[in-house]
Amino acid sequence: MSRRVLIGIFESEDAILDVTAEARRRGFTIVDVFAPYAVHGLDKAMGLERSRLPWVCFLLGLTGAGFKVWFEYWTTASDWPINVGGKPWNSLPAFVPITFEVMVLFAGLSTVLAFFGMSRLWPGRKAALLDPRVTNDRFALVLEESDAAFDVGAVERFLREHEAVRVEEREQEVAR
Amino acid sequence: MRQGIEFEARMSPAVLRFARLLAAGGGIILLAGLAAAPDRAWAALLMAGYLLTGFGLAGVVFVATQYACGAGWSAAFRRVPEAMAAILPWGAGALAAVFLAHPSLYVWNREAPHAGFQHFWLRWPFFLARFAVYFAVWTGFAAAIVRHSRRQDRDASVEHTHRNARLSIIFLVVFAVTFWLASFDWVMSLEPRWASTIFGIYNFAGMFSGGLALLILLVLWLRRSGPLRDFANEEHLHDLGKLLFAFSTFWMYIWFSQYMLIWYADIPEETAYYVARLHNAWAPLFLLNMILNWAAPFAALLPRGAKRSARALGRVAAVVLAGRVLDVYLMIAPPLQGARPLAGIWEAGVLAGAAGVLVLAFHRGMQQAATVPVNDPYLEESLHYHNA
Repeated sequence: MSRRVLIGIFESEDAILDVTAEARRRGFTIVDVFAPYAVHGLDKAMGLERSRLPWVCFLLGLTGAGFKVWFEYWTTASDWPINVGGKPWNSLPAFVPITFEVMVLFAGLSTVLAFFGMSRLWPGRKAALLDPRVTNDRFALVLEESDAAFDVGAVERFLREHEAVRVEEREQEVAR
Repeated sequence: MRQGIEFEARMSPAVLRFARLLAAGGGIILLAGLAAAPDRAWAALLMAGYLLTGFGLAGVVFVATQYACGAGWSAAFRRVPEAMAAILPWGAGALAAVFLAHPSLYVWNREAPHAGFQHFWLRWPFFLARFAVYFAVWTGFAAAIVRHSRRQDRDASVEHTHRNARLSIIFLVVFAVTFWLASFDWVMSLEPRWASTIFGIYNFAGMFSGGLALLILLVLWLRRSGPLRDFANEEHLHDLGKLLFAFSTFWMYIWFSQYMLIWYADIPEETAYYVARLHNAWAPLFLLNMILNWAAPFAALLPRGAKRSARALGRVAAVVLAGRVLDVYLMIAPPLQGARPLAGIWEAGVLAGAAGVLVLAFHRGMQQAATVPVNDPYLEESLHYHNA
């Protein structure tokens, strides 16, 4: 499957924030916005939904902590009880540091992996750059030519009014 | 200067009347207590003085961290932590009263300390000299930083921001050492046979977490009653909420670091501290301390919405503030009160009086300058930033 997209390239953070918010107000379908760094407020301008990553972090953190408490109980109190300094076998305070570390490890790694998965990034994946300069000093807004009513000429004028330095039309493969 | 915005810090007169009532009532109860139950009243005054000192210092430390790392987000409400510094002299006064009038609160004043170093360190004139040095350093830095910030309102010179950045960096280093020693002197030496090297960091963690809770409540108060309505928005609350979440967790981390090593080693002279706090009615308070200072704020502040809602954040801050009072009570009261916790009219009255003094001192601090640092180079950024 493929779709036609219209790409506007911009030179400043302010311009990309303005044009994105305005494009959304006019009801255009925003495919994505590319920026060389995280632009604060862009998620609001694009109307993005809240990320679900915190849930991955929270649930996997809980899983990691729960698993580790069980594992420590099993190793030190159940499978092979060892007397350490006369303490009870199931000595919870001694488990806390490792439980904490494993919780952080699970939560951190799983969040990064989930982020890569959601963003379709994996080793060997080739970067598909609209324009090499979006990794340096340019910002790109990608609009989908959603239906017959999409007037390319008018939209191009709209982008140029908002300080687009270049506008181009492309056929894009959609991986879905 | 911006036009059409009120800069006067006018606060609700009802709250101020109530604060005056608390301060006066607390003062009367303190005097009555000194006559009727001197040991309990002096102990309560020590707690009140230590709490007030901590709140004043937390304001200065907050401002200093912002200058030291060139933070822009907090400029809009920076006058609030600056005004908190006005609480510091009241803490000094309360502590000075205790130290000068009732030195026998410290057991090492009644009987000679046993160890060699303590013999050198825990001597009353040296103790008082250190007390004077700590406060001279703290109030000196606080006054200098606040003065530069206020002068900027008049002459709009960026030089004040640069000067304050340098002052703040030096202050943070000096503060770390002096506050660490001060907590050893004033609190840990109540039990001179017990020692914990992490005690100073533990006290810093509680002081800053409680100070942030107070800062949040004061910002919310000024936001609701007018002066900060146009300046402190939910982005500021969100970041303040993150800080409270972080420092409350830091407090728990340090609390546990102290507890676990003592529990693990199980040496009688070290465990005595916890044994005293895990007996009788101290035990539920000991557990409540962890709930108020960490478990409750941690669970409540996890969702993003809670940090951005004035209502939810205010409630959590109130809980942490209560936790801070309990934490100080659990550090100071057990060695002075013995087997059972005593909390009655003397403790409650003196602490309520301290709360009244705190509000009045803060209000006076707020009135000495415009409600926002109008010429701060970061003010625009602070009014328009977004949380990612």
